[in-house]
Amino acid sequence: MKIVYIEHNGKEHVVDATVGKSVMQTALDHAVPGILGDCGGACSCGTCHCYVDAAWESRLPPKTEDEELMLEGTLHTEANSRLSCQIQVTPEIDGLMMRLPSSQVL
Amino acid sequence: MNTKISWDPYRPDLAHNPYPTYKRLREESPLYYNQEYDFYALSRYADVEHGLRDRENMSSAYGDILEFVKAKSRMPDAVFIHQDPPVHSAYRSLMQRIITPKRMLGVEQEIRKLCARSLDPLIGADRFDFITNLGAEMPMRAISMLLGIPEEDQVAIRESVDSRMRTEAGKPIDLSKQQDLQTEALGSFEEYIKWREKNPSDDMMTELLQADFNDPKGGKRKLTRDEIVAIVNVVAGAGNETTNRLIGWMGKTLAEHPDQRRQIAENPGALVAPAIEELLRFEPPGPFMARYVTNDIEYYGQKIPAGSALLLLVSSANRDETRFVKGDSFDIHREVRPHMTFGNGIHVCIGAPLARLEGRVAMEELLKRFPEWEVDYDNAVLSSTSTVRGWDSLPVWVGSKPKNATVSAPKAAAPEAAPTGPVALEGKWNVVVKGPTGPQPAVLVLEKNGDSFGGAQTGDGATSQIIDFKYDGKNISWANQITKPMKLKVEFKGEISGNTISGKAKAGFMGSYPFTATKA
Repeated sequence: MKIVYIEHNGKEHVVDATVGKSVMQTALDHAVPGILGDCGGACSCGTCHCYVDAAWESRLPPKTEDEELMLEGTLHTEANSRLSCQIQVTPEIDGLMMRLPSSQVL
Repeated sequence: MNTKISWDPYRPDLAHNPYPTYKRLREESPLYYNQEYDFYALSRYADVEHGLRDRENMSSAYGDILEFVKAKSRMPDAVFIHQDPPVHSAYRSLMQRIITPKRMLGVEQEIRKLCARSLDPLIGADRFDFITNLGAEMPMRAISMLLGIPEEDQVAIRESVDSRMRTEAGKPIDLSKQQDLQTEALGSFEEYIKWREKNPSDDMMTELLQADFNDPKGGKRKLTRDEIVAIVNVVAGAGNETTNRLIGWMGKTLAEHPDQRRQIAENPGALVAPAIEELLRFEPPGPFMARYVTNDIEYYGQKIPAGSALLLLVSSANRDETRFVKGDSFDIHREVRPHMTFGNGIHVCIGAPLARLEGRVAMEELLKRFPEWEVDYDNAVLSSTSTVRGWDSLPVWVGSKPKNATVSAPKAAAPEAAPTGPVALEGKWNVVVKGPTGPQPAVLVLEKNGDSFGGAQTGDGATSQIIDFKYDGKNISWANQITKPMKLKVEFKGEISGNTISGKAKAGFMGSYPFTATKA
């Protein structure tokens, strides 16, 4: 099980992921720079924002209303923006590629 | 050196440098129990993070301040920092939609103007004070601006109250009359809310008034006035005090790292943001967060029984060497990793985007005007409590410090007895604290006991003995314990001029507010 994070400067991090954890927590566990996850996964801070690689967009579970609302107030969002704390690691997302924004904070 | 480690958040000897003690706690006693005050403390990064995220065993129902948790203090539902889910979640998610990074970015230019307004008048001076001249001004104005309180209204409300106080000065004001005055002033805040209801704008108050609230008791409704007042108090109180402290730490830390300060000034676009994150990690304005433990839990083979108060030492977690290489060094170039300064989990600071923005803009605007300064430690005042740690006053020399400079700024609270002031202290003083919701009146009665003073203060229908009284002929300070609207120690610090004392009253996490006391 791997997840690929690509920093804004292009640096790639391929990390081992454990089923049941979130994509945000997986990044934190491997000290991937550029994801903060201040609220610990409660969909309450918008500091785990990522862009989902085009190939993966349709393969992830859809956003909840809470995630949509949180993303409305988040900076630098695009159509493929997601909060990585709201995506759980499952066997189906092995190889998921996430691009990170230039900054999670102002 | 192998003495058993002892620590509590009240030790004045640790105010200036608590970090070696935290290091010992992490190494020798990662779960620490303090018998004297009966609380537990966790100091390692992983444990602090775990504790802050542990919804199963930790409760915020009694707040996040040690004394409140121990007293099992309860607050109205809308004070959501003081609640657990689902009540917390209902208010938090509503506020979350109002305090967004997008909204904060929208006011960047306004905050820049506020910084310029505080800093421009200081250009050309030999010295200024990071707290008085910037920290105490900008964050307060920023929150008022975000709430949409027009500045002319702020002034008008204050002046109407002041003029009334002037006509009353010199004769005793009975408490009932003071209560009327308070009701009237609270009324003017209500007036403002009413006015904003009819004059909606794009500010936070308008959104609070219009937002649909999913009541945890069921149904969708608008917030009540009382709820709005409570929310505004929490937001304003929490945001002012801590951002003020952040600005003080900016003044101190950059002065002690002149090389890094120079690098930031030369390349602010790239280095201010990481410098703010590093500053937040290095000197957190709020060093501890308390929780009430709801189940028996275990750390390091030792039990924390249900019903205990637990302190999570974020300022220690932020220096944990297993997480931050050379954690005790200030290094703006370090790899950015999450720190615990804003907390973590469902109660993580909702104002973090604003704090980061204010910190960044303040640092940029400061360095533009003052690339170098030196702290005047002889006249700087540091305070450390169980809620915040930071500078009450941080005067600096700008550019080069004059040789043999003589200092005219007031000395830090000199605890001399034997008052020699022009006005007899004993007797009755009419005290008015200008809180965020209007003036809070009280009556202070001082009595002379030999060389020192004691007395009692009455406000909101309750009387308590004053404590920690100090007077040196000019500077005067005391504290009292209030029970309404909550149990809180209020610390008064001011200067006497003629028959009037003016200064600041500090009410725990609710923040500091100006007060005056007039001899009756």
